[in-house]
Amino acid sequence: MVTADKILLMQNIRKEFFSVPVLKNVTLELAKGEILGLVGENGAGKSTLMKILSGAYSCDSYHGEIIVDDVPRRFHSTSDSEASGIEMIYQEISLHLDLTVAENIFLGRLPRKRRGWVDRKELHTQAAQALELVRLDLDTHRRVRSLSTSQQQLLSIAKAMVRRPKILVLDEPTSALTESEAETLLSLLRGLRDKGIACIYISHKLDEVFKIVDRITVMRDGTIVANYRHGEIMAEKVVEDMVGRKIENMYPKCQVEKGKEVLRVRNLTVPHPLSAQKNIIEGVSFNLHRGEVLGLAGLVGSGRSELVNAIFGAIPTRGKPEIYIEGQLVRISRALDAIEAGIGLVTEDRRKSGFVGTLRVDKNISLASLKRFSKEGFIKRKQELSEVQGYVEKLRIKVQRVDDSVLTLSGGNQQKVVLAKWLMREVKVLILDEPTRGIDVGAKVEIYNLINELAQKGVGVIMISSELPELISICDRFLVLAKGRIQDEFDQAQASQERIMKAATGLTR
Amino acid sequence: MRFGEDVAGPEDQVTVLRKKKARFRTVLVIGSEFADTEEKKMPEKKSQRWAWLRAQETGLAIPLVLLICIIGLVNPLFFDPQNIIDVLRNTSFMFIVAAAMTFVLIAAGLDLSVGSVIAFGGIVGSMVLAAGAPIFLGILAGVLTGAGIGFINGFVVVKFGIPPLIVTLGMMYAGQGAVLVVTRGTPVYPLPAAFNAIGQGNLAGIPYVVLIAAVVGIVAHIVLTRTTYGRMVFATGGNAETSRLSGINVNFVNLTVYILTGMAAAFVGMLMASRLASAQPGAGAGWELQVIAAVIIGGTSMFGGSGSILGSLLGVLFMNVVSTGMIMMRISAYWQNLVVGVIIVVAVGIDQYRRRKVA
Repeated sequence: MVTADKILLMQNIRKEFFSVPVLKNVTLELAKGEILGLVGENGAGKSTLMKILSGAYSCDSYHGEIIVDDVPRRFHSTSDSEASGIEMIYQEISLHLDLTVAENIFLGRLPRKRRGWVDRKELHTQAAQALELVRLDLDTHRRVRSLSTSQQQLLSIAKAMVRRPKILVLDEPTSALTESEAETLLSLLRGLRDKGIACIYISHKLDEVFKIVDRITVMRDGTIVANYRHGEIMAEKVVEDMVGRKIENMYPKCQVEKGKEVLRVRNLTVPHPLSAQKNIIEGVSFNLHRGEVLGLAGLVGSGRSELVNAIFGAIPTRGKPEIYIEGQLVRISRALDAIEAGIGLVTEDRRKSGFVGTLRVDKNISLASLKRFSKEGFIKRKQELSEVQGYVEKLRIKVQRVDDSVLTLSGGNQQKVVLAKWLMREVKVLILDEPTRGIDVGAKVEIYNLINELAQKGVGVIMISSELPELISICDRFLVLAKGRIQDEFDQAQASQERIMKAATGLTR
Repeated sequence: MRFGEDVAGPEDQVTVLRKKKARFRTVLVIGSEFADTEEKKMPEKKSQRWAWLRAQETGLAIPLVLLICIIGLVNPLFFDPQNIIDVLRNTSFMFIVAAAMTFVLIAAGLDLSVGSVIAFGGIVGSMVLAAGAPIFLGILAGVLTGAGIGFINGFVVVKFGIPPLIVTLGMMYAGQGAVLVVTRGTPVYPLPAAFNAIGQGNLAGIPYVVLIAAVVGIVAHIVLTRTTYGRMVFATGGNAETSRLSGINVNFVNLTVYILTGMAAAFVGMLMASRLASAQPGAGAGWELQVIAAVIIGGTSMFGGSGSILGSLLGVLFMNVVSTGMIMMRISAYWQNLVVGVIIVVAVGIDQYRRRKVA
């Protein structure tokens, strides 16, 4: 194992929450210039371990030792951790939206002139250099709010880089990035490794992890269950270690006979959310059949989400789009119209627009079906509860009671709550925008199974996913979006990651 | 408490504990091997039985009872029936507005115009009465005026997306101005004796006003907890975007909650006019903040999505008990606002601490 050039040793880390052990004697080593992949299902203890490393959990709240560069350290806060050269980049981006790009990069360490005035010129020169590190071409005067998610993600990496870290911890850094941006990030990390910076890379996207890391550590239930070096990594073995059971088929897929047409979209144009003159979707037409799972591929910014949100009436359209449900023209000017026409949308960001955090699980599930439980304005609570209970059992949503807070559930269970909300509506068309983002492998498989089951029942499903293997395995037919138009369309038999990427980057046609 | 009982092993320990629990309801286990018992899900029942203790409202009810006891000990006159009735009556006026304000705050809104609407609604209704209209019509005129003002508030908030703080702040000033324009600063009277009886009379010793407030409170509680509308209010305030995308008419909720506060405030304006036998231009001055403070002390979140009518009742009671109690304990009235200010911050602080612990 690593010996002389060891930069980090976390030894015998034990931590409990309310006497429930979440980390049981975890020992983690990291060598200089090594990229370590840390994988495991949600709740395996990865985040807790990293919060300990970042100082977010004070050294008094756990047992064990942290040794950085052969020096034992005690982190009382995140600044202690940063001072010893550890930088964290989280899945949720933590930037100040109303400050400029340059100010964000140098927050707390702005270059100064005499008497403490900020040296604006120097600030922007240095900021531009920092952006170059992550190959981000941006005006450093821009407000961060106006940047896309992927630009923000790259910016937070640039921000970490200027602090010259010894150890960089990245938690799902590519979840908001497109394939090509992720590729940029990965090559960036390889460059850092060559400069001797060590990385801990946490991700659910295993193919990505396999591509980049020198070593992979699998966590499960608060312990480290396996370590693999680069050459000996086997995808199926790792997944098995993570879930502790064999997954015969990670992407179960049932072949379903295509039924009649359930949705037809004609001439849909959607104005660009940030610039009024531009259209993000330019006259798109397509159709969807009963029992069909339609994959919508495209890079971030290609308008995938805007397309489905416009169909759902969540954002305004331009011109005269026509939407037919089972051959009937429907007018959709708001979400309620779409819901009444039989469409459901599981949005990209479940926290923001999927569930209501202050409502309990039961009330979230029945949120779109209030009319059904309503009698003269009153809610038929008994019927509501019994139907909710049915869906909780059907989808195996892990709750103690149906009136648990949604916020205490894991990501996978939260997503199931959102799905249950639409299943309760008995939708004809279900649109899923990144339905498996940030949820553990076990829950993912359950969601795939559910999609199959819906298709068998004759529901038309539209699925957006940035994880191409997932998309290719689950869908029957694919549309690839780029530059606001459908660039390519093909069936599962012809599908490959290369073909999708080609079309998405505009190489086809 | 009993000591000493032999158990055969961990399994038996659990059975013994179960038996104890059945007998004594609660068993406190002190030991180092808690994991054993925990795995057997011992505390399952307990958590439900004591759920009320963790409820939002209990956090306020306990200090309220304590406070009442302390005031009563210092000055037993506090428990004088007349004093209790006075406190209840004052509470009732404010509670009616607070009940409506609870809806607004749960929907993540804010209404600063209620003080002005109390005055303006009371004045308009009283002028209609003074002109010789039947009592019912006068009250209706007042309440409809409030509804109209609420509609304007809600419409501007929904249609133009202006923050409710600004819209209702503007309405607060506009309402005050309108009162002065209409009355030139003089009260409206005389009012019909039958009308004055509403605010002054009582049934078996209980003022009508208290009974009216009780009915309003019960209706508000039922609407909030049992109806589709109440559910929509909670959903909208908790997450407007999710609610909209789940087919809830968020704009309708945001419009109607302001109509509710407008109607409630104007109705209270009429009750106060009736109590004083005249509509005062200065009625309800400063009430907007007192009502909001009471609702927040009662555990309703300023960020929307949670709250209860019972909590608001306790909050209003608390405010009134504090102010009456201070007088009865002969603490200078100058201290009152200071104390209320501290209470608001402490109450919200405790609330946030509890929320963080839950999350």
